[in-house]
Amino acid sequence: MFQKKGHEINAPDNRGGLRGWLERRYKLTPLFEFLQHKEVPIGSHWMGWYYLGGITMFFFVVQIITGVLLLMYFQPGEATAYESIRFLTTKVPFGWLIRSMHSWSAHLMIISLTLHMFSTMMLKAYRPPREITWVSGYLLFLLTLGFGFSGYLLPWNKLAYFATTVGTQIVASVPLLGHWLLQVLRGGQDVMINTLYRFFAGHVVILPLAFVGVIGLHLLLIQRQGMAPPVGETTAPRGMKFFPSFALRDLLLWLACLMVLLTLTVFLPYGPGIPGMDWELGEKANPMEPAYPGIKPEWYFLWEYQLLKEFPPHLFGIEGPQVCLFAIGILLSIWAVIPWLDRRAYRNVYSPGFSDFGWAAILFLLFLTLAGWDIGAGAAGAELSSLPKVARVCALWTLAAGAVIIVVRYVVYEHRWFLLTFAALLHVALHGLAALSYLLAGAIALAAAAFIGATLRLLRSRNPTT
Amino acid sequence: MKAPALIAATFLICAVANSADQGAVAPVPKLAEMLSAKDTNGNPIVSAEAQTYFNGLNDRLKELLNQAVEKETVSRPEHLAILLSLQLRPQKMEVLLQNNCVLCHSDSANHTPDTLFAPNPEPGASVHMNLKDVVEDVHFRQGLSCAGCHGGDPAADLGHNHVKEWPEKDRQKNRAWVVAFCARCHSDPVKMHDYNPSLPTDQLAKFKTSPHGHLLLDAHDDRAPSCVSCHGVHGIRAAKDPQSKVYARNVPETCGACHANETTMAGFKRADGSPLPTTQLAEYRNSVHGKALLGRGDLGAPACNTCHGNHAASPPGVAQVSKSCSLCHSANAGLFDGSKHKQAFDQHNWPECGQCHGNHTIAKTNDAMLGSGQGQLCGDCHRQFAQKNPDCIRTADYFHQTVTRMDEAKNHFAADSERLAAKGLDVEPISNQLTELGDALKKSRTYIHSFARNSFQQVAAPGEESIRKADELVKHARAEYRYRQSGLAVSIGIIGLLMLALYLKLRQLEK
Repeated sequence: MFQKKGHEINAPDNRGGLRGWLERRYKLTPLFEFLQHKEVPIGSHWMGWYYLGGITMFFFVVQIITGVLLLMYFQPGEATAYESIRFLTTKVPFGWLIRSMHSWSAHLMIISLTLHMFSTMMLKAYRPPREITWVSGYLLFLLTLGFGFSGYLLPWNKLAYFATTVGTQIVASVPLLGHWLLQVLRGGQDVMINTLYRFFAGHVVILPLAFVGVIGLHLLLIQRQGMAPPVGETTAPRGMKFFPSFALRDLLLWLACLMVLLTLTVFLPYGPGIPGMDWELGEKANPMEPAYPGIKPEWYFLWEYQLLKEFPPHLFGIEGPQVCLFAIGILLSIWAVIPWLDRRAYRNVYSPGFSDFGWAAILFLLFLTLAGWDIGAGAAGAELSSLPKVARVCALWTLAAGAVIIVVRYVVYEHRWFLLTFAALLHVALHGLAALSYLLAGAIALAAAAFIGATLRLLRSRNPTT
Repeated sequence: MKAPALIAATFLICAVANSADQGAVAPVPKLAEMLSAKDTNGNPIVSAEAQTYFNGLNDRLKELLNQAVEKETVSRPEHLAILLSLQLRPQKMEVLLQNNCVLCHSDSANHTPDTLFAPNPEPGASVHMNLKDVVEDVHFRQGLSCAGCHGGDPAADLGHNHVKEWPEKDRQKNRAWVVAFCARCHSDPVKMHDYNPSLPTDQLAKFKTSPHGHLLLDAHDDRAPSCVSCHGVHGIRAAKDPQSKVYARNVPETCGACHANETTMAGFKRADGSPLPTTQLAEYRNSVHGKALLGRGDLGAPACNTCHGNHAASPPGVAQVSKSCSLCHSANAGLFDGSKHKQAFDQHNWPECGQCHGNHTIAKTNDAMLGSGQGQLCGDCHRQFAQKNPDCIRTADYFHQTVTRMDEAKNHFAADSERLAAKGLDVEPISNQLTELGDALKKSRTYIHSFARNSFQQVAAPGEESIRKADELVKHARAEYRYRQSGLAVSIGIIGLLMLALYLKLRQLEK
């Protein structure tokens, strides 16, 4: 694959030392030459976006190292899971450091992965010939969420137990197979020690194997195809040598990430104290205890959790959660097949509509995540009476964020396509400020966007110069 | 061969089931008519809930209801609706349906408000009785109803020849007869055994020894309480029933009905001739006991009767105060009994516990009561009565300083522990020491009642040791945190240097 045309790979290598020794056996010259010639495109956008994949991989490597160290002490079992983690963090030298690094690195990995995914989406790097790279990245994103979900239960503490109970319950809403899937996931009717065994097996064997396979494909494709040049160009106007320029920059960034990770680990060993981003061990799980109010899933699942809450118990004669899961499935599927949906990018032409779709998705997720956190509820917490206030405050934050995004896009990036961003903002405004139900507000916003879009298309078809 | 046999068996089972169904008691036509009757607006008079309740009645009760309808003790759908809406359990319903008194008096068609048992009377409405009180009465449940006290035969034909048993003459003026009337059963062990074998039968004997008893039976004072003053007349409930007037949480109000009433209590005097106060209820409500019982609902906290007694209620004498307190506070009382103070208090004729803690107004104790300063209990008393013994003052100061130090250390280390835990440090050893310190502090506060330095020192010593250990552990945890910070600084320094080297290399390469 790395063989350069015309290169005689069977020529004897007379170099001495390790390089010569390796060369005589493994014929590495084509690989070295490939790497020497490999370039990272420098185009019309910020280079920083290219480093996010590497940062994500750095956190994944940290996860593997700290995970293996945790594995040396962790003992899955009803009487040992919690106790072994407690022993590790209190008695084992630097045990606290390993657990805290594992937790922080997990969250930072999801953050960098999300940014990587959105930057890839906005830069249309998914366009041909890199569709499979996008799909494999998308699979890696889902697997990472799986890591987060399965790892959360392993300390077998109260917080994790009830959050997992709530989280796994969602599966029951899958039509027809829901209860069977729930049983498969939990290993029984309820979250019990069998669930821990399953999650443990998933977390340390099944998911890593799948992840290594998919990330192998992802990296192979990136090496084979190189990084995507800016839209409209098949090759970049300029390039940066991968070795040593880009690789050393990558290394510099990884060291900076390690610095940040260590600092966070020492000063905030249990996380920033935000619900859904808190891993203080607390009390041991007791399945006989009733669930306590205010249980939140991890922050990256909050949008789904909040969306489920926004659906009524029944919709169109179907159970609300089922409709919601169907809607989530549709949204995630759209995200997976974007390379084929974005026809303009497919033709290597700038596609402002899909950029706008990405920004609308960010605003959509932002509102739901803020509402899931009960931002604006104050002391009332998650009580029913505080819901309108939460919706209002979260809508105001989302509108403010939306306004900043529009101004920056208009002025800095000279975007002129805001239809879906407008629909997302109209949605939260109608829901939060005009007190319409979330679904009705969403339907009105979509209808308004469709009407405006159709009108613009009509005007454009009548007067192609506009 | 098997199939015909199965079919035959199925038919047989169906036939038996059908015949069993036919054997169920059906409502007589008049009762059926009442059950389906509608008012002028076309709405059913007997509600759906009441209908469901009727359908769930057993055959015996349905039969009794049929009989009541045929005898016309239940003659109107409105009356039937009232009886069914009570939703009584079967045993009570059986008593009710055989009781012509209640059946007749619960029908508003037969009675004017002054003799009616109304089911849900408006507050302040003039009705003879609340029907719900009648059926909830503990006596009614045991099968004793109106006739149990009023006489007559409730199952016999209707009539009003039922007042023979009442000492009618002057019964409102002199209520001394009430206690004897109740005692006919309640002081008879044989009779009471049939109803409630665990209920004592000495109430009257005790009552006679009490000031209440003397006032009622000897002085014939019409303000004196009798059984009904505390237990009620109709609607009497068992003492363990939260709605009973003598349920622990209701006792203070029941006693206060008289004892907090200045008019009622006017003229009553204590043994020393001073007027009997009426502030006890207000004082009790603000006391540590009142807050526990009335505020938190802690039934372990004492009500009036815990110290004063029930039927033999009397103010405890000076000698008895500590005995009342020691029923719960046995450790403190035991230590006090062996202390020097016991003798001194007896010489002064002081009521032991009450002298320092008060009686109805007992407040939560605090460490400031100790010590020799002005306004401190020990100091104030010793300056007045024991000036010749400076060692006592030194002991009081020692007590005060020790418990104060332990208390402050406990709070201080708890706050430290919380801060260190938030920093991710292992605070379990500190928590263990805090638990031991808390135990030692509790014991030390108790051993103050020994008023002996040696005894106190023995229980305070583990607390002092816990303070020392906790201090060491906190220092160790802080050192560990500093070590982590230093480690981080060194790591960042090394990483920073590495980054700098990389950066320089990169610049060199790109030149």
